[in-house]
Amino acid sequence: MLYRTAGQFKTSYKADQALFPVRQDAILLGIIMVFAWVIFPFTASEFAFQTMLIPVLIYALASMGLNILTGYAGQLSLGTAAFMGVGAYACYKLLTIMPWMNPVVAIFLSGFFSAGIGVVFGIPSLRIKGFYLAIATLAAQFFLVWLFEKWAWLYNYNASGAIQVPNTTTLGTYVTGPLASSMTQYYVVLGIVTVMTILCINLTRGNLGRMWKATRDMDIAAELIGINLMKSKLIAFAISSYIVGVAGALYVFMWKGAAEPNLFDIPLSFEILFIAIIGGLGSILGNFLGAILIVGLPVVLNLLPDALGIPISSALVEHLNIMIVGSLIVFFLIIEPHGLARLWALIREKLIIWPFPH
Amino acid sequence: MKHWTKIAAAAAATALIGSAAIAEGLFAPNLSYRTGPFAATGIPLMNGQKDYMAMLNARDGGIGGAPIDFAECETGYSTQKGVECYEKTKGEAIVTQPWSTGITLQVLPKTNVDNIPILAPGYGFSPMMDGKTFQWAFNTPSGYWDGADMIVQYLESQGDLSGKKIAFLHLDHPYGKEPIPIFEQLAAEKGFEFTPIPVGLKEMQNQSAQWLQIRRMRPDNVIMWGWGAMNAGAITEAVKTKYPMDQFIGVWWSGHDADLALVGDAGKGYKSISWSFPNLDAPVMADIKKHVVDAGLSDSNETEMNGVFYARGIIISAILSEGIAAAQAEYGTAEINAEQLRWGLENINMTEERIAELGLDGMVPPFSTSCANHTGHSGGWMLEWNGTGFDKVSDHMTPNVDGYRALAAEKAAEYATANAPWPTNDACDAES
Amino acid sequence: MLADIFINPFIEMFAYPDFLMQVLWEGLVSGILYALIALGFVLIFRSSRIFNFAQGIMVVFAALTLVGLHAFGIPAWISVILTLGVMFGLAVTIERVVLRPLVGQPDIILFMATIGITLFLIGFGETIFGGENKVMITSELGIPTGDTVLEPFGGLLILQHLDITVVVVATLLVGGLIAFLNYTSMGRAIRALGDDHQAALSVGISLQTIWVLVWFIAGIIALVTGIAWGARAGVSFALEVIAYKALPVLMLGGLESITGAIVGGLMIGMLEKLFEIYWGQPLLGGNTETWFAFVLALVVLLFRPQGLFGEKIIERV
Repeated sequence: MLYRTAGQFKTSYKADQALFPVRQDAILLGIIMVFAWVIFPFTASEFAFQTMLIPVLIYALASMGLNILTGYAGQLSLGTAAFMGVGAYACYKLLTIMPWMNPVVAIFLSGFFSAGIGVVFGIPSLRIKGFYLAIATLAAQFFLVWLFEKWAWLYNYNASGAIQVPNTTTLGTYVTGPLASSMTQYYVVLGIVTVMTILCINLTRGNLGRMWKATRDMDIAAELIGINLMKSKLIAFAISSYIVGVAGALYVFMWKGAAEPNLFDIPLSFEILFIAIIGGLGSILGNFLGAILIVGLPVVLNLLPDALGIPISSALVEHLNIMIVGSLIVFFLIIEPHGLARLWALIREKLIIWPFPH
Repeated sequence: MKHWTKIAAAAAATALIGSAAIAEGLFAPNLSYRTGPFAATGIPLMNGQKDYMAMLNARDGGIGGAPIDFAECETGYSTQKGVECYEKTKGEAIVTQPWSTGITLQVLPKTNVDNIPILAPGYGFSPMMDGKTFQWAFNTPSGYWDGADMIVQYLESQGDLSGKKIAFLHLDHPYGKEPIPIFEQLAAEKGFEFTPIPVGLKEMQNQSAQWLQIRRMRPDNVIMWGWGAMNAGAITEAVKTKYPMDQFIGVWWSGHDADLALVGDAGKGYKSISWSFPNLDAPVMADIKKHVVDAGLSDSNETEMNGVFYARGIIISAILSEGIAAAQAEYGTAEINAEQLRWGLENINMTEERIAELGLDGMVPPFSTSCANHTGHSGGWMLEWNGTGFDKVSDHMTPNVDGYRALAAEKAAEYATANAPWPTNDACDAES
Repeated sequence: MLADIFINPFIEMFAYPDFLMQVLWEGLVSGILYALIALGFVLIFRSSRIFNFAQGIMVVFAALTLVGLHAFGIPAWISVILTLGVMFGLAVTIERVVLRPLVGQPDIILFMATIGITLFLIGFGETIFGGENKVMITSELGIPTGDTVLEPFGGLLILQHLDITVVVVATLLVGGLIAFLNYTSMGRAIRALGDDHQAALSVGISLQTIWVLVWFIAGIIALVTGIAWGARAGVSFALEVIAYKALPVLMLGGLESITGAIVGGLMIGMLEKLFEIYWGQPLLGGNTETWFAFVLALVVLLFRPQGLFGEKIIERV
């Protein structure tokens, strides 16, 4: 109906391989972009910025980083949060050592530190596979969080061991710190996430993406057709950790405002893994869908009893909340193990051929 | 798909409007944690706080005629949930009670922008005592540095400290690290050897390594800064390794009846410094029983209500209500706002007479706050476990605040510089 | 510095052998508990290729159910039997609701599903039992609580009767389990399923029954672990973190191997304690137990990618 493709002809290979082979996709994306860039920021309340808009984008970015590694290159990682931590601490050190540095530049630079550490912990992937590889990333997870706690230089020796985001400016407006407005921070995050998303889409569609997918599907076969596994896996670790590191820097500098080491502990890793899996492994769109679900659901569930006027203690709400999130994860895995992105693909397919069933 | 955000935003809007409509009177939300690994210590505190407010509402119709809407927002001690709760409630609330050092640190810089007082009784960032720098933050009636100082004072009263070995068993978390600078300063002054022993969040229930270390170093005293499951873990390990209990002292958050009930008589002699005490004969307890418990409004139970933490919850709510009452008197209105409450919290005067008037006899030491002094430095008592409950074993002790006033000012200034531009309340200078 | 790493710790070990023995004993007891949790993982992994993250929360859930039932005034031993019933019900429910629809999905999906189960059980448990720290009904179950003080080499060695009981019970449990797997038809069916799903199905072994059975056995192990751990430090949701410790144990021992889980558990329990006491605390500021097990497992895996006792990974194209 809305997605009728009649009349859209491809006359060249190039057109056939385009990012949006169906015109409606481009229109839909355009509408979403208008919402993201114009309508949301001007209508959202402070609460919506802080609990939905900003975190959804940051989580989606972190999940995108994980998806490159797990969804495209097939290397399971349970240590995403630690690499986010590397990004955040690197950004903190950069900005406190060089206060004149532009915060956005610092955020982009901090990803490189995370990428370096990612490669180091990625080296075992050359020998260890599957669940056994999870141990390497778990080692990173626990070791790095311990290091954030013990290495006082990282948090400038302050007594509490937590890092506080300084107030910094770009072009005369506050970008980080308590004085920055949510709208500014939202635009910065949105800008960075957009750039990263375009980058990821192109990477995964290109030579590297194919190399990763071959590695994921069967690494011995990939090796036989001449793919350098070491290169493929380590590049995946580097790029994935870079994105995750940037997400971590955004997480603390654009959203949280302060961080203690155990913020980057394993529950955060799992949360991001949920987003990647519920959204769909091996999909860019999925990260956003997953983030909306995993970040948004608890917020909505928390508000629901109040909005409906049901008198219920907030502790019980929280318990029910955890139960519902747990059940929904199982539910989504059962109805569509390939994630929300596949669900959307199926809906889209149905819409295109509507009203015919096949 | 993106419409989800919209729905959520709409839901958020309705919820806020909804709560605004309900909130006639004063909205004083509590960022509670009744779930998660720290719930064990959280629940009695939350119940005490809630029951006292419920009692005021039932007995006096609130404070100064304005009923208190004491809503809870569950954080599970998670910083992220805490910030979410802060954002959700700050629009209507006159105060925020973050209930964790992590959440406090995160909310602290925002309060300057949002102009809302943080009430963090007995926790949070110790330099918050500097009211000039931290205009909006209150850690009444005592901060961690006060606690550390009083513990060392108590130990000194038991004998000379020079050459002694003191181990500091603490949660490896901002909370546990707070008092270290004071202990180090006092160690240098008094000549004792101070060794911090951190307990990781994952090791809270399995502290055998830490207690082996304690056994190896044979300290004269162990001071504990523990929370949640860590307290029970440490106390059971201490009993197991036969560490003499009368040399083991905890901060006020490590003096929870249920943790010691685990070991019962074996825990006799364990001490905890405290700025609150459960005086079951105090009139307030009878009022709570009459107006709240008998009316079926309490979530608490008898054992819990006899404990130190429930009583502490009552005191915390009493401090808040005193702040509210002070502001109401000053501004001549029952419906005070956040800014007026800040003035109220800066002008609490808990004299012995006032304590008796409130029916809190023997439950809290007298103290007063001012513009420059946001802590009050009430001092406290040393409590000792007798096998079934805590007894007061010392007179009212007061911390030697002058010993670290300079350090607090330095740390506060450091904080202000790191967060520049940071507004300070220079009006305080005239008074202090 | 080098002396601190290579010489001094050993001097200390020999200078205070009683202390070393205490360290090893503490390590052994924690190691046995790690091994028990890992055993629950291994059983489920062998028979269904599911990496069951929910094992940790099952420990908490079982312990809470036991204490909760007893709080209703039900005698201790009857509570144990009822708790076993609850664990059986849980096994059946998980099999019906979660596992059956997910048969044949990739490993990671099943892994995620068990994390979903974990979250559900946390919320469910907290709703029913509340979040307070509870006292394990140690004496009601007839578990001895005192201690025995030995004086080897003129030093001091404290052995908790509780810990001794844990060691004995765990040994019996493991022995019983191995006997069950080797000498009963049900046990052989579990092993057959572990070796080859399709071959097992074709000789008439019911997948569903076996899955319920292994989840139930994992539930029994969870209950024993819960009692043992709960008696040491009380029962609360903070216990769930011990599940993380079981992961390196599994990796070190090999995902399919029961021997591996036991040896891995004991090795990690003792080595991490030794490392923490003699190297971690003096040199690294302590708390190395959070990561030592993982790094150790990682190093071992670099040399043996399938773990110490795991089945050799054969890859075909």
